[in-house]
Amino acid sequence: MKQNENTSLKKHMGIKAKTRVSNTIIYIILVLMTIIWLFPFVSIVLQSFRGGPVKGMTNEIIPSIWSLENYVALAKTDFFRWYLNTLIMALVVSVLQTVIVLCMSYTLSRFRFKMRKGLMRFMLILGMFPGMLTMIILYRVLKDLGLTQANAVPGLILVYVASSGMGYYVSKGFFDTIPKSLDEAARIDGATRAQVLTKIILPLAKPIVIYTVLTSFMAPWGDFVFARYISFGASKGMNVAVGLFNWLSKDQINSSYTMFCAGGVIVAIPVTIIFMCLQKYYVEGVTGGAVKG
Amino acid sequence: MKITDLEYLKLPKWRRALIKIAQFFISIPKAFLNLFVKIGRFFKKVGLAIGREIKDIILTFKNGDWKTRISYVIMGFGNITRGQVLRGLLFLLFEAVFLFFMFKPTGGLYWLSMLPSLGKEGPGKAYDPIYDTYVTTYNDNSFQILLYGVLTIFFIIAFIITWRMNVKQNKLAQQILDSGKPLKSGKDDLRSMVDDNFHKTLLALPLTGIIVFTVMPIVFMILVAFTNYDGTHDGYSNALFTWVGLENFNTMLGIGNGTKVYAATFGEILLWTLVWAFFATFTNYFLGMLVAMMINKKGIQFKKFWRTVLVMTIAIPQFISLLYVSKMFAQNGMVNQFLQSIGVLKGLDYIHFLDEATPARISVILINIWIGIPYLMLIATGILMNIPQDLYESAKIDGASGWKQYTKITLPYMLFITGPYLLTSFIGNMNNFNVIYLLTGGGPTNAAASTAAGSAGYTDLLITWLFKITTGAESQYYFASVIGILVFMIVAAISLIVYNLMPSVKNEEDFQ
Amino acid sequence: MKKLIALVLAVAMVLSLTACGGKTEPTTTAAPQPGETTTAAAPETTPGGTASPLAGTYQIKVWAPEAAVELTKKQINDFNSSNTDGIKFEATVEAVSEADAGTNVITDVDAAGDLYFFAQDQFARLVLAGGLAQLGQGAATIVKETNDAGAVAAASVGEDLYAYPLTADNGYFMYYDKSAVDAAHLGSLEDLIADCEAANKYFAMELENSAWYAISFFFGAGCVSEWTTDNDGKFIAVNDDINSDKGLIGAKGLQKLVTSKSHIESSDVGEFSKGAAIVVSGPWAYNDAKNILGDNLGAAELPSFTVDGQSYHMGNFSGYKLLGVKPTTDAARSASLHKLAQYLTSEAGQLERFQAIAWGPANKAAQDNAEVKANPSLAALAAQAPYSKVQGNIPGTWWDIGKVIATDIKDAADEAGLKAALESYNTKIQNVLKIDTTGFILVGAWNDWKNDDEAYRMEAKDGAFMFTLEVPQSDYMGGRIVVPGDWGTDRGCLIVTEGVDLLDQVGDPNNSDNNIVFKEAGTYVITYNEAANTITIVKK
Repeated sequence: MKQNENTSLKKHMGIKAKTRVSNTIIYIILVLMTIIWLFPFVSIVLQSFRGGPVKGMTNEIIPSIWSLENYVALAKTDFFRWYLNTLIMALVVSVLQTVIVLCMSYTLSRFRFKMRKGLMRFMLILGMFPGMLTMIILYRVLKDLGLTQANAVPGLILVYVASSGMGYYVSKGFFDTIPKSLDEAARIDGATRAQVLTKIILPLAKPIVIYTVLTSFMAPWGDFVFARYISFGASKGMNVAVGLFNWLSKDQINSSYTMFCAGGVIVAIPVTIIFMCLQKYYVEGVTGGAVKG
Repeated sequence: MKITDLEYLKLPKWRRALIKIAQFFISIPKAFLNLFVKIGRFFKKVGLAIGREIKDIILTFKNGDWKTRISYVIMGFGNITRGQVLRGLLFLLFEAVFLFFMFKPTGGLYWLSMLPSLGKEGPGKAYDPIYDTYVTTYNDNSFQILLYGVLTIFFIIAFIITWRMNVKQNKLAQQILDSGKPLKSGKDDLRSMVDDNFHKTLLALPLTGIIVFTVMPIVFMILVAFTNYDGTHDGYSNALFTWVGLENFNTMLGIGNGTKVYAATFGEILLWTLVWAFFATFTNYFLGMLVAMMINKKGIQFKKFWRTVLVMTIAIPQFISLLYVSKMFAQNGMVNQFLQSIGVLKGLDYIHFLDEATPARISVILINIWIGIPYLMLIATGILMNIPQDLYESAKIDGASGWKQYTKITLPYMLFITGPYLLTSFIGNMNNFNVIYLLTGGGPTNAAASTAAGSAGYTDLLITWLFKITTGAESQYYFASVIGILVFMIVAAISLIVYNLMPSVKNEEDFQ
Repeated sequence: MKKLIALVLAVAMVLSLTACGGKTEPTTTAAPQPGETTTAAAPETTPGGTASPLAGTYQIKVWAPEAAVELTKKQINDFNSSNTDGIKFEATVEAVSEADAGTNVITDVDAAGDLYFFAQDQFARLVLAGGLAQLGQGAATIVKETNDAGAVAAASVGEDLYAYPLTADNGYFMYYDKSAVDAAHLGSLEDLIADCEAANKYFAMELENSAWYAISFFFGAGCVSEWTTDNDGKFIAVNDDINSDKGLIGAKGLQKLVTSKSHIESSDVGEFSKGAAIVVSGPWAYNDAKNILGDNLGAAELPSFTVDGQSYHMGNFSGYKLLGVKPTTDAARSASLHKLAQYLTSEAGQLERFQAIAWGPANKAAQDNAEVKANPSLAALAAQAPYSKVQGNIPGTWWDIGKVIATDIKDAADEAGLKAALESYNTKIQNVLKIDTTGFILVGAWNDWKNDDEAYRMEAKDGAFMFTLEVPQSDYMGGRIVVPGDWGTDRGCLIVTEGVDLLDQVGDPNNSDNNIVFKEAGTYVITYNEAANTITIVKK
């Protein structure tokens, strides 16, 4: 009996020690990961404070001369114009895109109509075409409408919003999880379909609404391919990504790299803050999307 | 190899796995065959449906009264005379707009007539002796002809559908009136838009957007693959472009005589694209799951902090961070110089992170982990939390080790739930433009591919190659288009096969 | 909810504002027409200010590299106040780098700047893409007289000029860090490499990514690489002897650098802050290099390399930056734009640009300026000049073909490998010109005797070749079937087995080329059976 107790105790101790070892290993890994994941961002922030005559890329991590001159220099460029452009795009796109995605996903989740399955399959197939393919034609279409180069901002908004119906998948998955019995009860009480949506479903769909707003708000900040193709040769119509990206071209990188870092920091700050605040909803959205995939 | 269930269960585990894999491959041709059968059935169905419609149209005319018959020519006439003024006027308006568009000068008919040739007269240059200068006259515009030609065809299809609706509505109205019931008024129509037909209202705007800015451009770009549209045949400023049939596909796939450089390059890039997509998907998947499990492990503190650190990287645009990372791994970048300074590398020795074919390919896969883990960590966290805890409890009671719990419970559960996600993420990685473009720009250069368009490199994916061709020296849009179509075919084939083979393509109704 | 509505409203307002902003934007195409376009008087002879047919206000867009934007604005203002024709430009000057201008113009000629700066390597593409307006006779004469011969060649297709030379500084030489490189070793590539390796410093030169730099070694060994175009800008011949013993010498020299551990693949002077001692680059990088190295910055001609005991001085391309004028439909606008381009590229304009941003002039008079001669980077370029070759018109694909030669040489294990690399290069450049010599085409009066005319290619059908030929009425309606690019006479009237009655001059001694000469115009279906070597002709 005594012996028995002893071994079980030993076993218990063993497990505890083992847990401690494994936890320590995990902590080490997590700390290393934190360093690796944050290193580029920290470096970029540090570079943005580097003063002195050398404005190009260097291998030093901590600047030898600290200065705010890069941020000051931004004011002399078109940076804030690009920033405003992007902000306008992000705000408009996030509102309109959310409306469209919600219309689309709610309909496909809640209604059963003749072409529904066919429509979903059709959009699945459309999604398999590489989007880059349509870049040339979209440029031409926008040009016919007079929405390229200096007027690229409304043009880009139009394209972002118009094709956003394709991204209904994640939020449809979310709507699928809201019980249909709720709708039916309301319908019996005499509510129209539209009332069901606005009065019953929307309040319940807050997480997915925020998720959609968030993802659509973030997209315009990073688009340097399509936006560049639409707004080339006209600084007025550029978004912040295109403008910053041009500073990395061969003839400008040695005079603008630190300024690029400063611009990058200014871009990243609001996006990061909003993202951090609404992270919870983002996680819900991503998880939901993956599960319902 | 035929095998009964009982025999199968008796086999050792590895044999069972082998048989499963073998069955997977055996079923691929069948899946393909099924696909063709399905496509065949689809066309048969469409054909039959069209036949029925035509029959109905003829019968309606035969059996209809004079109002209905006039509606065949003047759309909405029947509706208006029967009291459905709103509907009728809409039909009439649509018809008027359509006819105006078709018959106005340089309207629909003009575009259609130009479509087979894509323009007759290119730009001309003339010397103006008065001003001592050259002036250019621009004439036909192939691009516009193609664009508006396609639009006109879309418009005609829309008109036919609307016309058919108009006929149907007349038939219906006539039947209802004959049976003595009242017709729906305009007010009823409006009310049904927010009620019974609410889905049509909701879908109207999104679908219009998709048709104009996604479907139409895709149709258009497919057509471009059959032309010689490029930087020096831009259809307006230098020379017209025209139809060339399958020539571009033949060049790209090395069919017929001529150079096989394209086919070889295409094959090589396709292979790498698939390898990349496989590794990029699965390294992220398993490592992301691992990280999620580590963070979620009982007894690990600051869970929120670890998660936040990783998630932060999602918020920052990739073009800011990835370019920095790529410079870090250059020959004289931070990483090599650090390794040199601590003596791991001697003198000017360096690791060829991004400047030799195989190391560069490995590097981009590794750096992609840096980007992908945060997403996967989030997804895995969400799913892992949903796994019923009692499964683990009972496993523990049975004395299952941590590893066993993982392979028997966690992994199967994850795989089951994220099956479709894996597929979409595989396809997403095939088209992962940002990572490759920003890290290596497709380099290092592939010497053998240098004479193919766009001068592809060793890490180029099909999508970055497409981009290079589009924006590159020769702007060979037709090749970009050909590649796009081929990418589509490959992706579609993979998806269809995998979808049909997946154990349970979930029934979406299950969740409601 | 109220907030949401407010937001939507605000957004809608912003949208409509931007849309309106778009509409009021002056469009570049709306150029005012000058009053009398039919006056016979040539505009140049119009005395100052009085009713020149060019007088008017023009809205234009100019693409200039970032560094030149401010200066260009100023120069356009100067032009507005100084020109005697009453031309007034309201210009927007956008920063578009001269390396990207070509790609952007080709993407959409219509949206391009009315005037744009571009680097010479894009010239051939831009002409083919219809992005450059040809210079009038007066302008062409001035350009030819005032600029150096290389500059004129760089802007010409055949005899015609299509652009204005801006600078003659588009060449490369060596920047070095005086504190790291022994000045006595500057003349020898081998010494420099050894120094760099010993000091753990880098020698930066783009070889594997750029044919423009890699060619340096081959020019050093005495090779040539020149292309010829016809008057439309189409490439018709190449004179390239890189695949030779001389080329092998160049390859050996190139191999020395590209296989050295100290070599890095870059032409960016930013490498100086990452451990480079030597960077091969051009005058445009001078200010950036100066910022990094300060007084330690040195500039020198390229070194010599030694192969089999003999020394060869590395060569380079001497290239140019050009100013292009976009083609326009309006003669007055076109003439005015050309006037502005002339002004910007005149001696004064080039000197002013040199003084402001240190761009080396292409104008002969400006080149003789003492200040220009004293500029250190231009002096290094001048020292390199005896070894440089004028960069003529080069097809776009050559840059892709040429850049891999360095990679091939790097991977070559022995002399046979080097030879194979050169051989492969040669095959590829010959392929650029090669016409598709498979199959057959019809050559004759109907296509002005072009023996590579793809429009008259015979279609392969059931083992034979077929073509439906429209023969227009003319004095001589003859021709024959040939292999593309060839003039062979054995596929003519003598092997016609069916339809001989439709032909004239069969067996006629005057018809020594055995041409198939039709009696009358019309549509004929011609079938050639290669195996049997017979031709059948059917009239439709």
